[in-house]
Amino acid sequence: MTLLAILVPLVALCVVARGVGFLLLVGVVTALAMLVDGLAPLQEVGAGLALLFAIPPQVFLARYQHDATLERSGAAVPFFALGLMVLLLLACGRAGSTVFPAGLCTMVAGLVAVVCRQSMVWQWAGLLTCIEGVLLSAVLGRQPVVLGVAALAGAVVLLLGGMCIHRIMPRLVAVRAAGRHGRRTGPAGGGSNT
Amino acid sequence: MSAGMEAAVFLAALAFVWPFLGAVVVAALPAPHSREVAIWMAALGCVLSVIVFTFPSVGGGASGWDDDPVQRAGRVMLAFGLLLMVLENGIQPDRLLRSLPHVCTALAGLACVAPEPAVGLGILELALAWGVFVFTRPAGQAKTGWGLIRTGSVGTVLVLSGLLLPQGSVVSGLMMACGLVILTGLAPFGQFWRDENDSFLFLPFAGASILLAMRLRGHGGMAFEMALVAAGLVSVWLTACAGRSRDRQRLFRTFPSALALMAVGVEADVAALLFLCGWCLAGGNRSGRGWAVNVLACFPPGAPFVGCLLLLSVMTDWSWSVAVLTVCGILAAVLRAVPDREAARLFWPEDTAGRVACSVLTVMGFLVPLAMMLGAF
Repeated sequence: MTLLAILVPLVALCVVARGVGFLLLVGVVTALAMLVDGLAPLQEVGAGLALLFAIPPQVFLARYQHDATLERSGAAVPFFALGLMVLLLLACGRAGSTVFPAGLCTMVAGLVAVVCRQSMVWQWAGLLTCIEGVLLSAVLGRQPVVLGVAALAGAVVLLLGGMCIHRIMPRLVAVRAAGRHGRRTGPAGGGSNT
Repeated sequence: MSAGMEAAVFLAALAFVWPFLGAVVVAALPAPHSREVAIWMAALGCVLSVIVFTFPSVGGGASGWDDDPVQRAGRVMLAFGLLLMVLENGIQPDRLLRSLPHVCTALAGLACVAPEPAVGLGILELALAWGVFVFTRPAGQAKTGWGLIRTGSVGTVLVLSGLLLPQGSVVSGLMMACGLVILTGLAPFGQFWRDENDSFLFLPFAGASILLAMRLRGHGGMAFEMALVAAGLVSVWLTACAGRSRDRQRLFRTFPSALALMAVGVEADVAALLFLCGWCLAGGNRSGRGWAVNVLACFPPGAPFVGCLLLLSVMTDWSWSVAVLTVCGILAAVLRAVPDREAARLFWPEDTAGRVACSVLTVMGFLVPLAMMLGAF
């Protein structure tokens, strides 16, 4: 167990608190936590997958407007995630496990984001955080089958989530074009707010 | 390998490939002919699955990839569920939509026979992805599709996390049970289908989840079993409390799933099979029909009624208090939640699909306990 593996759930809490912006950091820290333990093929594949599920969403979302869904969930959601993590730690300790379950804590943080946040992008980030957590657990626990299934589930979430976001959220290009058009036609309409 | 064994292996492999073949044929044919061909393909799939159950591809005490009779019998139920889905639906103009039940049943069958339960989960995730892709193609369906993916993936992630924890630990059992309850779509915990067409995906999906739950019992331990029983019991009692109000009928729809999960929890696999039969043939969006109401409410004759008797006989050995609570819950649900009593009096339906369903359910109600007594399970 390394310091990096302990950092992963903390960064995942940032996803719960602030949103998809921290997903990239979760992916990078997860990949580093896998590679610090060794450079076996399983770890390299796991690290590659962790980056694959963290980098493309950021690049993809850069082409769309900010998701302005009104969040009804309060500021207590990250603390709820933290409480669940502590419960999980206690339960694992009682079961005789001496290793910090970093991957599962990350998964719990992602689950809280999926359940408590209303914005679709935030939920997408939460699900991908869950997948990062399962990937980390599978690599640290040397379970290639679970790693493969988590990779498949991650690919499904990444592709279909991206497809749904593409169909719901307005693209940034259209907004810019509309803004340019608005500036052109603005003075002719009799005034401007700026 | 003897010729008989070779034939058995060939038939077992063909039974897995057959629904995929059916999907390709149904999608390739023009819409007016597709329904008739789909019925034939599904009926032949039923015959194949019955043959594979009767003549398994492994002999004697040998272990192999298809050696669990309960899983083989479960695939028979899934095949009959496909036949009924095809029978009761009209001609679908969309190629992908009309081939979807075949694809989902094929993937559900493959998930049950996967060498490890985790691989089965992955195959179920693929079925979910394909179903959501087909459903969300029309305009305005993206949010619904996202809801399906979100809920299904949460269930998969929970079960995977449980598999990563030490075998038999409490946390592992609870996580896996929560995931399976979500994947099974047990109301009110995780029912995530809404539209009529969703049955194309979720009838086989939930059926395969119940069959996977039997295989996950070895890893989950006592906590897993108790959590499944608790979830089923809560669902049964909530069904009873919800009554007949129309907006709460979704609880009554998943009544056989709740009992099936309880049966898995108390290790009454044959009872779970009978409830699975009830789910495949009367579950989903059929709860408005009289014969389906009879089946869902576990009225005799029929597989779920026999399943109830088997479940209660096993449950009395497991825990008397839970058995009493279950009996009271079932009685209360039947008295308070059966939606239309006039319709429920109708025993023999007028449509072909209903007649096939009632016949299969009645025959299964006799044959499955008979096979159990003869030592098939």
